[in-house]
Amino acid sequence: MIELQNVVKKFGSLTAVNGISLTIEKGRFFGFLGPNGAGKTTTIKMLTGLFHPTTGFCRINGHDVHRDPVPAKMSFGYVPDQPFLYEKLTGREFLYFVGGLFKMPGELVREKIDELIEVFEIGSFVDKMAEEYSQGMRQRIVLSAALLHDPKVLIIDEPLVGLDPRSARLVKDTLKRKTRAGLTIFMSTHLLEIVEELCDRIAIIKDGRVIYEETLSDPADPKRKFNGQLESMFLQLTK
Amino acid sequence: MHELLIMLNLKAQSFLKRLFVFKWTQFVQDFSSLLIFGGFAVGVFALSRSTTMYLLNEEHIGQFLFHRFLSMLLYVFFITVNLGNMLVSYATLYKSQEVNFLMALPISHTKIFLIKFIDNFFYSSSTLSLMGLAVLLGYGSCFDLPWYFYFFTIFFIMVPFMLIAGIIAVLVLMSLIKIATRIGVRWLLAIMVTVYLSAIYAYFKIINPVRLVQDVMQYFPNVNQYFGDLDPPFVKVLPNHWVTEFLYWSVNNDYGRALPHFVVLFLMMLGLMVVAVLVAQRYYYESWLVASDSHAMAASPRARFRLRMFEFGKERLFTSQTEVLFKRDFWLFVREPSQWLHLILMLLLMMIFIVSVGALELKLVQPFLQAVAVLIVFLFNGFLIASIALRFVFPTVSLESDSFWCVRSAPVSMKRLYWQKLLIAILFVLPVALLLSFVSVSMLRGHALVVLVTVACSGMVALTLTGLNLGAGTHFAVFKEKNPIRIASSQGASLTFLCSMLYIALVVGFLVAPLHNYFQLLITRGMVSIGWVYVPLLSIAALSLLVFWLSTSVGLKAINRDV
Repeated sequence: MIELQNVVKKFGSLTAVNGISLTIEKGRFFGFLGPNGAGKTTTIKMLTGLFHPTTGFCRINGHDVHRDPVPAKMSFGYVPDQPFLYEKLTGREFLYFVGGLFKMPGELVREKIDELIEVFEIGSFVDKMAEEYSQGMRQRIVLSAALLHDPKVLIIDEPLVGLDPRSARLVKDTLKRKTRAGLTIFMSTHLLEIVEELCDRIAIIKDGRVIYEETLSDPADPKRKFNGQLESMFLQLTK
Repeated sequence: MHELLIMLNLKAQSFLKRLFVFKWTQFVQDFSSLLIFGGFAVGVFALSRSTTMYLLNEEHIGQFLFHRFLSMLLYVFFITVNLGNMLVSYATLYKSQEVNFLMALPISHTKIFLIKFIDNFFYSSSTLSLMGLAVLLGYGSCFDLPWYFYFFTIFFIMVPFMLIAGIIAVLVLMSLIKIATRIGVRWLLAIMVTVYLSAIYAYFKIINPVRLVQDVMQYFPNVNQYFGDLDPPFVKVLPNHWVTEFLYWSVNNDYGRALPHFVVLFLMMLGLMVVAVLVAQRYYYESWLVASDSHAMAASPRARFRLRMFEFGKERLFTSQTEVLFKRDFWLFVREPSQWLHLILMLLLMMIFIVSVGALELKLVQPFLQAVAVLIVFLFNGFLIASIALRFVFPTVSLESDSFWCVRSAPVSMKRLYWQKLLIAILFVLPVALLLSFVSVSMLRGHALVVLVTVACSGMVALTLTGLNLGAGTHFAVFKEKNPIRIASSQGASLTFLCSMLYIALVVGFLVAPLHNYFQLLITRGMVSIGWVYVPLLSIAALSLLVFWLSTSVGLKAINRDV
């Protein structure tokens, strides 16, 4: 479960996030929408411990991300908006590195890497140095790293940027399957059709405040609710 | 020309904005930098002035010999500027995002080259220029020179002198990138190191300072006359010689003989600039394409360095987090040529220093001179340790770079990460410092107790400077910069280096009187009790502890900052 309580983030005189409160239950696929500069990435960075909130708190599975960071971070995986990797490590080495950070036994890391190589079809480049990767390759390695330790929560910032249609389909299917298995996903994106296809709960943020929230009663069929109208609604709300 | 002016104007504006748009944090940082830089510059001025006075008025070496020593210093300075520009210009001219952006615009490659060359020159030479100015003022103050001498010397002598070093650096760099595709980077670097070391060796071999001193001193006390015939013909074509000739004739008020050297220097600069532009017109874009191709510039594509013990996925010896963090740092270090190449260079420098100390035939009997010899060697050890810490410890947190999100969002305690970085840094710096100190002071045929004290002090210096550089490196972390050389030459790094120098000066200060007394008593009584070591050692330990604690507190606070 993800909980944000009255979270504020100020950078000098600029208030990037202004009192956001959200609770996302287990197994939900949450879509976090908003125009550029609305505060989506700042919120995600607070949620993942990269930024300290000026006031308020963020909890993941009952652990405060900033006061009790280690257990909180143990339970989530994170995919940033820019998939920066260590240029001089191979994808496989990076996955081993992440497995070690999450204190996974060596044998389990090996098994999970083999499994993720299959899922995200990264076998052809996983042993090359990251400096040779395209944006899409990086994105798939980072997604694999985020799912490596079987997290209970997945926080993703623009997961489909740079992916070709086949890889995008692969990612969408994987995320759907994982949500059905009980994974909670917090996803920020600009792609409204992805939200319509995948999310069973959405929030729209503008100028650091949540201006719209919707939870679908039938998570199995979100399209029925929005019926392709999300784009016009979004444009109307964020005008 | 129009695009060139627009770009230069843009750069000037962004620099001026940083200076004049008021921000409290920036102001405090700039003001502290100014204080430390200012203090250091005053120190350099005083040292330059007192050294000049001492050599001319106390040792009576004469103006000719004095200017030949200056020429040797300028030669080393020239090589330093040249190497500094070459190392930084690879990042500025070939690896910067700005070049990628500019290359996609309708601007000629030669103009991009010129913009980035100027950028690079100012970036890598500004601190050295400030120190050069302090040296010049200290030197000039001994000769009561008019204000316009300084103005002219800075802008029309020192700037062209440094520009020549910078232009040669980019010319060599362009050629090296071309050659690298044929023989591989590792071979090329090995050849380069050999060429530069040979250049330094050959220069001092040809100059032969000892013979020069003997030849001049034959004429004592008439050593102020000009002994130009003693100069080997080869040195007369070197820019450092032109600079010192200009200075020599200027301080003797013979501008008629000074000006030709300025003209030669200035023409050489202009000529080299034209050559650089012509070469850039032909090769810059080509070499940029080569440098952008990671396959072409791969350290050694055929024989990838493998060390099974450090491979990820092997049996773990430590906790998983400790192990993967260590392995990551290890591989990122060995796969980055600029890292291990610099390490080899520094180790070579240390070897040269040790061999030089070993070759000194010091038969000093005066207690003061014995103490000075030990302190100078100790000071140089400290300088080497500070340089190693600055180059390899200061950038460690910055080198987490854009990928820091991975560790920050993982269940890793930042305190633990910091202490692990500190421990690894200490394990690297401390043995080097202890070994260097032990070997160099032993080679002075020093007494066992003196060796013991200096080794103990070097240990404390190593621990403190490691803590200082890691703490300051965390505080001044630049995650956007991936080049360790640029990180180690940033404003924060320069500030840290000056603080290191200040700390070493204080440590030396604590040792001066006790060492002098020790040697004095050794001569008068034949033996000395061990009691004299406690006070300086305890004082140094207290100072070191304070610096270490302060730096570590700053570092631990900074590592938790927003990224």
